[in-house]
Parts: sequence; C-alpha cells; structure tokens
Amino acid sequence: MPRPAEHWVTFTVDGLEVQAPDGVMLVDGAKYGDVEIPVFCYEPKLGQPVGACRMCLVEIEGIPKLQTACSTPVKDGMVVHTQTQRVHDAQRAVVEFLLINHPLDCPVCDKGGECPLQDITYGWGPGTSRFIEPKRHFKKPLELSPLIAIDRERCILCYRCVRFSQELSEDYQLILLERGAHSYVGTFDGHPYVAPFSGNIIELCPVGALTSRAYRFRARPWDIEGAGTVAPTDATHCNVELTVRDERVMRVLARDHEGVDDGWLDDRTRFGYQAVHVDERIVQPLVREGTELMPASWEKALGAATAALKKAGARSAALADGETTNEEAYLLQRLFREGLGSGHLASRPHGELPLDAARALADPALQATIPDLEFAHAVLLLECDPIDEAPVLDLRIRKGIRRHHVQLAVASARPTALDAQAASVMRLAPGGAEGLLVALDAALSGDDGNLGGASTAAGSNAQAVRDLAAWLRDAGDDLVIVYGERALRGQGARALLNLAARLELAGRDGAGLLEVPSVPNARGMREAGFAPGHGPGFATLAAAARDARGIAEGLASGELSTVWLNYADPVRFHPDRPLWESALGTAQVVIAVETLLTDTVREYADVVFPGEAYPEKEGTLTNLDGRVQRLRPAIGRPKGATGLPGSGVRPLWQVIADVARDLGLDLRALTGAMASSQLFEAVPFYGGLTLDEIGGRGIRWPELNAEWDAPTEVARLEVPAAGPAAREGALRLGTFRSLWASKDVDVSPALHFLRPRQVAELCPQDAEALGINEGDRVEVSANGTRIRGTAKLRAAVPPGSVFVAEGVTDEPANTLTEPLVEVRRVRERELEPQL
Amino acid sequence: MGVQLFYDGIDDPELRTLDGYAKRGGYEMLRKALEMEPGAVLQEMLDSEVRGRGGAGFAMGKKMSFIPGGTMDKYLVCNADESEPGTFKDRELMQKNPHLLIEGMLIAGYAIGANKSFIFIRGEYDHQADVLDAAVAEARAAGYIGDRILGFAHTQDLVVHRGAGAYICGEETALLDALEGKRGNPRLKPPFPAVQGLYRGPTLINNVETLMNAPHIMRMGGKEFARLGTANSTGTKVVSISGCVQRPGNYEVELGVPTRELVYGLAGGPPEGRSIKAWFPGGSSAPVLPGTDEYMDLPYDFDSIAKAGSMLGSGAIIVIDDSISIVDVAVKTAKFYRHESCGKCTPCREGTNWTVKMLERVQSGEATPMDLDIMASVQEQIIGNCLCVLGDAMAMPIGSMIAHFREEFEAHIDAARERNGLGAAIPQVNRGRQGGAYPMREPAGIEPTPAVV
Repeated sequence: MPRPAEHWVTFTVDGLEVQAPDGVMLVDGAKYGDVEIPVFCYEPKLGQPVGACRMCLVEIEGIPKLQTACSTPVKDGMVVHTQTQRVHDAQRAVVEFLLINHPLDCPVCDKGGECPLQDITYGWGPGTSRFIEPKRHFKKPLELSPLIAIDRERCILCYRCVRFSQELSEDYQLILLERGAHSYVGTFDGHPYVAPFSGNIIELCPVGALTSRAYRFRARPWDIEGAGTVAPTDATHCNVELTVRDERVMRVLARDHEGVDDGWLDDRTRFGYQAVHVDERIVQPLVREGTELMPASWEKALGAATAALKKAGARSAALADGETTNEEAYLLQRLFREGLGSGHLASRPHGELPLDAARALADPALQATIPDLEFAHAVLLLECDPIDEAPVLDLRIRKGIRRHHVQLAVASARPTALDAQAASVMRLAPGGAEGLLVALDAALSGDDGNLGGASTAAGSNAQAVRDLAAWLRDAGDDLVIVYGERALRGQGARALLNLAARLELAGRDGAGLLEVPSVPNARGMREAGFAPGHGPGFATLAAAARDARGIAEGLASGELSTVWLNYADPVRFHPDRPLWESALGTAQVVIAVETLLTDTVREYADVVFPGEAYPEKEGTLTNLDGRVQRLRPAIGRPKGATGLPGSGVRPLWQVIADVARDLGLDLRALTGAMASSQLFEAVPFYGGLTLDEIGGRGIRWPELNAEWDAPTEVARLEVPAAGPAAREGALRLGTFRSLWASKDVDVSPALHFLRPRQVAELCPQDAEALGINEGDRVEVSANGTRIRGTAKLRAAVPPGSVFVAEGVTDEPANTLTEPLVEVRRVRERELEPQL
Repeated sequence: MGVQLFYDGIDDPELRTLDGYAKRGGYEMLRKALEMEPGAVLQEMLDSEVRGRGGAGFAMGKKMSFIPGGTMDKYLVCNADESEPGTFKDRELMQKNPHLLIEGMLIAGYAIGANKSFIFIRGEYDHQADVLDAAVAEARAAGYIGDRILGFAHTQDLVVHRGAGAYICGEETALLDALEGKRGNPRLKPPFPAVQGLYRGPTLINNVETLMNAPHIMRMGGKEFARLGTANSTGTKVVSISGCVQRPGNYEVELGVPTRELVYGLAGGPPEGRSIKAWFPGGSSAPVLPGTDEYMDLPYDFDSIAKAGSMLGSGAIIVIDDSISIVDVAVKTAKFYRHESCGKCTPCREGTNWTVKMLERVQSGEATPMDLDIMASVQEQIIGNCLCVLGDAMAMPIGSMIAHFREEFEAHIDAARERNGLGAAIPQVNRGRQGGAYPMREPAGIEPTPAVV
C-alpha cells in the first residue's frame, strides 16, 4: 500500500489549539502542543494500541467516560483536558495500582534513573501508597534467556514484550500466563526466549523487569554517557547509541531511525559490543618472527609493511570487509593504485560485476529505500534471507505485510524466515538465481525460446516462472525487489536490470531495487573505488584487475606476492577455502588489519596492524539503500602494552597514510575529516556532502539528484548452464551464512552460546532415503573432503539439495568446492568420544 | 402473572424437538420474516424497543441498525456464556426451547445480512449444548439452516461453540477473541463489534433471551410488542431469583411489576422469621439495594432500578436475609471477580486483588474502619477506568455494600478486633489530599509487611 497522504487536523488540548496529523493517537497528537500524556503500554512501534495500562486516561468533551489517549485518534474540533481533577484522580489511581505489587527496589534496580515507571510516578503519581498488604512474590531474577533476566515482581504487565514477540518479530514465544493478579510473562513451558531480536524487549520494558544480563549491575544511569554512532555489523547500518562508562562500551541501545532500522536492533548488534573489550583484542602491531607473531613497535610494523609493498609493487593486492569505512577504502585504493600501481582490490566474495552493470545497478532512479519495503504494493525477495544478512529488514518486511498489506513473494534456494508470510514461494536449485532471473526476463518479454532452458537452470519450471512473472507485472506500481548479492553471478546482474526495465521500476518513487550485499559496507567501499573494475564513483579505468578469486589464484601461483587484508577473513568467509589457504600460505607477506586475533591472522599474517573497533572509529559508511552515515568515536582507542601515547591502536586512515608516505605518496590525510572531504570530492555523486550535513541521521545520496548515464537498452541474454542435477547418492550443495557466524559472536561472552555449529539442512524425503533422522550427526563430503554437522530436517528445503553453514570455524563449509556432495549418517562408533 | 411469552408451555418435553416446536407454530415467523425485506424486519425490531437481556440493556434494534450494509462477511453471535452469579435463565430457555433461539437467530441474521452465526455457550452448559446441537442438526435437516433457507435467497450457517470456561468470555469482545481461538481477553473499544468484530467483520452479539424475543416480535408486530412492560422497558423478562427465598427459580414477568411481587409473591419471600437485608437486582455485578420497603416497592424495570442506584443487569435477583453477614457477601463477591479478572488492565487486576485483601482483613478482624474509606475510594478508582466492565462489576456491588451497610462493617470490625484482643481502632488521622485516608502504618499487634523480601 502506498503511503497515505498526510492531512492535518486542529484540536484543543488544555485550552491550547494544536495541529496534528489526522489519525494519530491523542498521546502523539498532544505532543504537537507540548502536552505530555503519560503512557506505559502504548508504543506506536508495536502496532495497534491495547489500552491495558490505563495510564493515559483523559477527558474528552462530549464523551462521558474518561478515554484512553493512546487509542483515541485526534479529530478536528476535539476538545481534550488532561489537567482536570477527574483526570488527575484517575492517573493517580493507576499509578497507585501499578505500584501496589511493584517491589520499589529502585536503589538496586538497573532501570533506576532511566525508568518510565519512576518518572511517571514522580510526575503523575499520588506520592504515597495506602497499600499495606503483602505484595506478590516471584522467584527472581530468572533467566528468560542467556541474554535477558526477568524480574516478575517488577513487571507491570504492560504487554509490550509480549506484543513485540507476537506481533513484531513474530517469533510467538513470549506469552502472558495465568490471569488476573496472577498473570506473568513467560514462555511456553519455560523454554528460554532465544530469537534474533530478543534484546529489543529490554529496551521496550518500561520498568526493570527485563534487564540485559550482560549489562546487569555494570553501571547506573548517572555513571554513563550516551554516544551515537552506527553499527557496521550488517549492511543496514543500524543506528545505535553506545552506553559508555569509563572508556568502555557497556551497552548498545537503538537510536531510532525510521529510514534505517525503525528503532530495532538484532541481538548481534546489541550484544556484540563485548568484542571490543576482550582479551583476544589486538591492541598493538604484531610482526611475525620465525613462526610466531610477536608484538612490535609501530615503526617496525610500518617498516615491514612498507618494505613488503614496495617490493611487491604491482604484484600486491588488497581485500576489504567488516568495519572498513568509506574513507579507508578510498585511501587504500589510492595507496594501491597510485603508490603501487596495483588495482587488485576486491570486496565481493562472489565475484565482480561488469562495470556497466555495476553502474546501472547503482543508478539512483532504480534505488528503493528501506521504508519503501513497508509501503510497497509488493516485495520480491530474491536469493537472500534478511534475517541472516540484514536482520532489521526482516522486521520491516513483516511490518509492511502486517500493517500495510504488502504482498511478498520469495524466490530462493534455501527456505527463508519470511516464507510463512509470503503470498508465493518459489524454491530454486542452489545457485539457480541466475537461471531464474534470465527465465523471468524471458517470461516478461514473451521469449519462449529461453524460458524453458532458463527455468530448468533455476531448478523450477516454465509455468511457475510464468506465474511469478505475471505476479510481478500485476503486483501493483510499487514493486521492490530485494536481492542478495549472490543472485548477480554470471548474467544475473544484467538479467535483473532487464527485469527492472521491463517492469518499469526506474524513476518511480516507492519502487526499485534493494541489494542485500555480502559485506557490511559493500556499497560504500565500491563507491569509494575499492573494486578491481572501477575507480571512485564507478570511474572507468584503463586496465581491469583481479577479483577476489583472481587474487587468491594469483597469490597461490606466485603472480602476486603481497596481500593486505583490511578486516577481511577470506579463509573463513570466502568460497574455496583450500585455494585461500594455499594463497595466504604461499604469499610472501600477508598484511592484516584486524581487531581480533582470528585463526586467519594467527596462522597467516606476517604484519598485523591493530584495527579499530567500530565504537573507536571515525568516518562514514554507506548502507544498502545508499545512506551515507557517520561513525563517531565513542571511546578512546586501546593503549598498547607500554601504555605510551601512540603505542596502541591508531586510526586506520593514519596508518594507510603513513604507509603511503613511506612509499613516497602523500595522501594528504592529516585528520579523519580530511580523508572524508577527499572522498566526497572524489566520488561525483557524493558531491557537496559534508560531515556536518550528514550529521546524526545520514543522507541518502540517491536523493541528491546526481546525474547518471546508465545504459537503458535491454541486454540479450543466453540460457545459463544448469548446475549438475542431484543423482542417486549425491545432493546439490547450497550454503548460507548465519547471522551468528562472525568474529564478534565468537568472542563475546554473552553471545558465545549462539556460535553456529555446522548443520546439514535436508528435506525429509532425502533424509529418509539416506536413513537420516533429525539431530543425527551427518557427514557431507566430496572428493575426499568431508565436514560433519547435525542433520536438520526442513520440509521447505528443495528435494535433492543440502544446505550447510558458511563461516563455521570448526567444520568449515567452504572446504567443499564441488557442486555435488554425498551425505551420510555418521555411525555411532565413528563419533568422537564425548567428554 | 401477566403475559407469558417464553414460559407458556415451556415444560412440554416435546418442545425441544422440531416437531413439538412446529406444532406450536415454530419457524412460521422465520418464513414470515424471509418474505419481508430485511429492512422491514429490522424496523419491527426497532419498533419493539426491546432492550438487551444480557446485562447492559442496550436496545437490540438499535444495535442491529449499527451493522453496516454491504456484502462483506457479517456475523451474528449469540452470547450464551451465562456466567453471572445468580443468573440461570438462559440455561432453562435453551434447554427447554432451543428452536426458539435458533429461529430468533435466523430472523436476526436475516435482518442484518449475516451469513455466519455462532452460539458461544458456556463450557459448563454441557447438557444444554447437547440439546442445542441436536436442535441445530434437526433444523439444518429441515432446511432452516444452510444455503437458501426455505428457498429464499438468505443463506445462514449456525455453529454451536462451547467455551472453555471463563466469566470474562461473557464480555462481548473477549467472547469474540475466544471464538477466534485466542485467549479470551477483552479488546479495546472502539471499534465496537458492530464495526469490527469477529474476524474483523461487522458482528452483532446478543444474549440468548434477547434473540429469543425476535420470533415473538415478528408474531406480535414490533409496536404491539412494545406495549408489553413499561414505556422504556418493553416486553417480558425471565427473572432468576435465588438466595434466601422460599421458592428460588426462574419467573417470567412483564417488566415493571413491583419487586415485592417478585420476591415475596412469586419466590415466597425469605424463610420464616427472617427479613430481607439486601438484594442484588441484576446479578452479582449490580450494586446491592437494601431490603427496605422503599426499595421493595420499586417497579422491576430498567429505569426504576437504575434510578435507585443499581441496575437490572441480567435480571437476576439474589436475596440476602438478616442471617447473613454482609462482610461475607462482600468477600465472596470480590473473590469471584478477582478470580475472573483477566489481568489485562491495571485497575481491575490490581483493584480486585487489593479489595479482596482488605476485605479479608476486615473479615478476620485485622482492619480498622479507615480501611473502609480506602476500600470505598479504591472502588471509585476502578469504576469507569477499566478496559471492560469486569472491574466495575466488582467495584459497584462492593462500593454499594460499604455505602449501605457501613455500620455493619464497622460493627464487624469492632467485634473482630475485640475477639483478637486488638482493642478499639484508633480514630483515623492524616487524611490524604483526595480525602481518602492514608493507612495507619502499624496497627497494634500486626507485623508490618516488608516491601521487599
């Protein structure tokens, strides 16, 4: 449904004439006149009001009973009183009622000092209580989950957490048990509440009933400061407020941004901050001596890196991922191109796009925004699962479906978390997205010649593709296609552009494409020119260079000698682990910038520069819908072992500039802001941006009306080769990257329990044929390479396929490089002895 | 006795069968209605001015007229979740004359254009649900329920749904939630069910007895029906009389008969040698009235009872004689509502709980008279501030008991304190700004309750 037009009405509150948008609830409407009406259960982000707490009772002329302001929409000419004796009496009554069973243990409560119940009690309460009976008691605190503690005595039963679970994240885990005065929040049978968004209920709770176990008793509100920044944990770049105490991040809160995260955070963003302050953190440069990485001075490390790069010259390469900012990507590509004459810069794990396709996909006219997901007529989810790759988008799509009747279609190989909400679901063969895009293009253009073959390559059939094409055509004007980066392989990008042209998505507000990239700041890095095929702003280059796989091959064969890993861990996250192991093993020098001592760093790096964690960083990031946002330092960078100034972590822009200087190149980046302004000048469509303009909310550059010359003609496509079909004893291999496969999760004490274990997702028919039951230990193998995992039977997995998790450290899936694998149950006697 | 719309021949065991019902002219009014325009049927209902018999007393015709026109799915729900203490009229009516309810629902369904109808019957009414099931099967077989009823264009289905047993499910929106398979919690109003009810469609919800009036209205004509009873309370009413009377039971009377005639005449008055202390005029959620002549002479109709400070409610009179302590009645009543509070809104959840705790102290003699002030003020804090009327349903009777029988409460407190050796209560001091008393912190001999354990 497109956004409704805004219409303003005038009403009177406490004798003051106020204008507010039509249809907003009185609580919100009154704010336009600076009148505050106290609430507990009301939270517009949670959808329809429930009117349970009765705190917001007000008097409306013409209505005999007091009305709940949270559920009464403003109307023209309405006359509202919030300060009459009747209203005061009712408000005092409700506060008194709420407090009769509340323990009032504010001095030892984490919420004390930032507690709405406290504030409202002071502001609107009676001041004393007349209640002298015994209060109700519960065992407390209990673990609601390993992340959240619940204190049911403090709970005022406002329903917020239950509504979040039931209506927002739709995990349906939290419920209200029992009734009347015995009611309490819990889960069925006391199961722990583990869900990707569970931490949001801590922030929603208006009392200290739900507290973060990681933050419990760590600080009081008067000890802490809030620092706004954005989190580069995934490509949406959620806005966060870091709670800082004594130069340590103690907590991460949402910093509500309607255009980005809608005020929600996933648990990885919320609890992953612990990785900033762990023993695994690299706080000073390391240089390999013999077989050991030894602490070294900055001079020594910079010298070693510079020498290696100078020696390698054009035979050097760089890979970036993780927390890399736009500025770092920009400076790095200058260092490599201008200082070394090498253009081997890659950030896409699955291969690069042709420049014209990359340029056309970045066309501002084709960009959808995140809020568009909420108001579109239809959304197509193509070869991605937001819950793992850009979690808050999952909530946004659910919101659109629930509140604005957005129609959703899913086309992916692996079942997604949104399948149940989708109007239509198409299962593809692993890697079949290219085939599907070509087939959709054929179906929309009426080219029956390509349709059959391409549909087969997609792992589907012509009729199903025709149906999906018809659905896309008839879905309504505002269509948003959310695609995973993997869908762009081969001709995928061109086919997608054809599709956008045939569906006339370009230039239409509320419609367009939205990429879910594989790398958090993928978009910003590419736009800053960190790519083998183009310079800053997709500028054409004279010579093309190697993509990620090419770099690995070059290193393995000796054609390249030195590689700079900027927060990148290709061994863990890129396809083809054996190739990368050999590449990094063969490379003469591996220079790594990393925050944590990961396996890859420990094993392969020769020179390690300590990386800044994002709360320490300064710079900009560009999220998946093109919003340029600022990272602002919230805490100081860690000091080195000597404690001397400059001995510890240094800003990365400075490190890059120092290396460049030693190579004889002056990058003219003396401050972070200088690096930023260089970037804004170099990228034409960032033109005119300044850090001040970006401010705290960011700016979507596609809205800056940049000129764009992208080819508009429709490309002719070939039928892609179909992947090998599953046959007796061999299944097609698909992979997915879990939300929890990340270095932060590995080291954060709070999140450690979520570290992914290897799984093998099968459909029940295949499992039965292979004699595998749910939970069995299974072995997935090809060509003698084998990994073990736990069998997980999912009815929605396409028959003949098996899915394993990427980025799992102990049973790495990227060791498997063949498209077909054998799956078998591990016999009891083969199992490792259990301790 | 006057006119007997429902009770004329109700004890005929054949009445519950289709044949027996048809012999008495059953389903003729359905045919008559179907031959009329829906609007004309609705007009008859409006003319009858019959008011809802479930408790709120809202005019049935008016409620029907709120159902919007149009072709969307509309629903008719019969509220047969009769759980109000003291009320047992629907049980007898459904058990003995199920087809009258079915016919009433079909007529009402036709008038509002509902194609799907439900009877939400209290889970404990197992036998009555069996009777209804059998009657619905008979009616369906005879073509009264289903597609194109009697060859007319109207199509209506009817399902008997058994509740899982909760007083709150008698509240119309909680009933809808329960019918949808959710936990029976009241919804926020507005939107009212007539606009957005079952499955978010327009829904008419009426009580069993209300819907049973529909065939009679069709037979008599709305205007003629309106002559029964009084100007503002038309028709007859089945009154459940229970408590301290010699002949408890259901009695059908024309609205407006003197209460004395009901309590003393039909029900035989209190047992020999006792006098009436108080009575609930309309189920346990109605404020009690004293058993004095002034109140006994009240005409039993909606307006007169309301004017006297109570309500006709579901039309269930509970008589309390002088052998019963009003404190015990209050505790019993409050405990019922505490037990049945769904817990969704604050005043009801906390208020019922608090009230019970205070009343228990009154009962056991650990209270002071100022607790009565607090209790009265707590009831005022509940009334009108809740999500649904369950909170009011406790607050109104308890409040009225304290108002009418404060002396008895105080005497009880004094006696109990003396029994417990606590001595007389200290006169109250320290009144709060709102006039309510602050508690006295440590009445002699009582352990203060620690706030945090």
